Amino acid sequence: MTYRPIVGMGAVAATGSGVDELFDALCRGVSGRAELRGFDRSRFRAQHAYEVDDRPAAGQDVPGRATRLLLDAVGQAVADAGLGEDLSGIPVLVGTGLRELRSLELWWRDGSPFADSGLHFGTGLRERFNADVTHTFSNACSASLYALALASDLLDQEGDGAPDTVIVAGVDVLTESMYGLLERVHPQPPDRVRPFDRNRTGVLMGDGAAAIVLRRTDDGTRRVHGRLRGVAVNCDAYHVTAPSPGGIAEAMRTAHRIAGVKPSDIDLVMLHGTGTLLNDEAEATALRDVLGEDASAPLMTAVKSMTGHTSGASGLINLIIGVRALQEGRVPPTVGLDDPVEEAAPFRFVTGEAATGRDLGVAQLNAFGFGGINAVALVEGTR
Amino acid sequence: MNEATTETTVVVSGAAVLLPGADTVAALAGGPLPGGTPVEPADHVGRKGLRYKDRATQLGYALTAAALRDAGLLGEDGLTVPAATTGIVASSNFGNLDTVARALDTLREETVTGTSPMDLPNASSNVIASSAAIRYGLRGPNLMVCNGETSGLDAVHWAATMIAAGRAERFLVLGVEPDNEVVRRLLGGGRAVDGGAALVLEARVAATARDATVRAVLGPYRRAADAPREPGHWELPAHLGSASGAFGVLQVAAAVGWFDAGRREPVRAVAGGADHDAGADLLLLAPEAA
Repeated sequence: MTYRPIVGMGAVAATGSGVDELFDALCRGVSGRAELRGFDRSRFRAQHAYEVDDRPAAGQDVPGRATRLLLDAVGQAVADAGLGEDLSGIPVLVGTGLRELRSLELWWRDGSPFADSGLHFGTGLRERFNADVTHTFSNACSASLYALALASDLLDQEGDGAPDTVIVAGVDVLTESMYGLLERVHPQPPDRVRPFDRNRTGVLMGDGAAAIVLRRTDDGTRRVHGRLRGVAVNCDAYHVTAPSPGGIAEAMRTAHRIAGVKPSDIDLVMLHGTGTLLNDEAEATALRDVLGEDASAPLMTAVKSMTGHTSGASGLINLIIGVRALQEGRVPPTVGLDDPVEEAAPFRFVTGEAATGRDLGVAQLNAFGFGGINAVALVEGTR
Repeated sequence: MNEATTETTVVVSGAAVLLPGADTVAALAGGPLPGGTPVEPADHVGRKGLRYKDRATQLGYALTAAALRDAGLLGEDGLTVPAATTGIVASSNFGNLDTVARALDTLREETVTGTSPMDLPNASSNVIASSAAIRYGLRGPNLMVCNGETSGLDAVHWAATMIAAGRAERFLVLGVEPDNEVVRRLLGGGRAVDGGAALVLEARVAATARDATVRAVLGPYRRAADAPREPGHWELPAHLGSASGAFGVLQVAAAVGWFDAGRREPVRAVAGGADHDAGADLLLLAPEAA
């Protein structure tokens, strides 16, 4: 079993830009929730989201924001890894739920320029970083951990063409169509993301991007933030939107086997925790089943309570926050979680204030997407 | 997943094609003639379960069923191998653009209450891959590649990569592009193929273990900025329009058609190039290379 060193990290979300700023804000319990910034609010019942406040003029949306957030996160990660900005020949794997569909929307209704080459992220990555081994995976809310699994497979390959470095990224921004259809299926319009709380009203989207630089081996020249121990991916093959606890539990067990960990080794779980009506119970049921008598052992938190649901970016945001939590012994709280659902009763949620001064070795990261596509990763920290 | 080496041989053990003018790999290899009728998914998989599904997902159902059947993996009671041994990699660039545009039109012209909850799954671009997995019970890794012109060849590459890594014994690889008003406007008036192809890729040892017929063998793949050095062997007839994310999968299916007919020379598949963010190429070898 080879653990792959993580030598660069970058992130941006509603609550901050840069890993330091984002992690500190989340530990302070700062929420990125605000009134909708880029859409005509009169069309919706829900009025809030967790957007990155980067539009040139208030209330006016502009195309290309997903690409810009992605390039920002990748730029941070490669600078952190000391790679330089020429990424030709280095695989860049991008997980996303919604690609540049927001730009497509602005083209379709508002006439902003757009071409089919702008649907995926290869074009933007080529222009900024000269990257040519680029891959855009549209895998809903588990997209960036699916990309992480594929990166891990590339680094496991041997032979002349096998890469030494792979960049994994995730990105999403709100689209009007997804925001609207998501609220449409809620009986009452969601007001804020309150993962695992009995009184939650549902999920709200957030903007975000994250990127990491993974290496085949630690060559001793770069600071290592943490190590990837393993990633499992599967599909429930059950329902297009509803999750299946059985499929999720299977992904967790496979991840533990690949990573060589047992439930009692896990110190922290970075939950998927979307606040969606069905999903939190399904995640809790699967986690209880897999952890068994150790269900009360690890600390648990759901940062979507502050970033909103960043969809394709969320798995990798969980990874970066999880790695930083292991490094610092500090875990951000789940904001708005007052009364946990029955299924999550045994869990040690971090609520109120950040947990500090902890000795944490291994973290589990969860990401589950529409269509029952599950991804679970295990990382260990370095101090 | 630690057994991964580039030495793992991956073979094609099933293939299917649905295009106007071609519904077999032989017809595809020969070149579909103009004037073919549009593909009708219900003719292939029945009407049940097609309601509320977008065109790309319906085409995906029909292709998935045909390729699994061709590979001997679909019996009367469904899949003939354990569900977790088989995954899906799908490729499409235009797949759900129609749903996104239609939902947006409703939002702008009415309000959110005018939209249909049934559109929610179709608003997620991975609906083609997840829907095929649900309908045919494929519980292995489920990946949706939306990577521009090279997407179909990239999808083949990722399926082979996951087979080599031991994530599943086999993958259904699906390439599909629907044709509709949104796609035509995006293509400046041109049309998309409104169909596609599907393949079953399998570790050679897994294919041997179940006595499957090897139809082609995967050779080296590469994606790079420079244009592919040589042209591909199979060309899409211009009258079919843009194959986009389905193009790479169609080329592999055409290679299977040629090998079935006795060709022994390798077939080169090529997509993208200097006009795009990158180019990709893949070599297909005749079955005896396994």
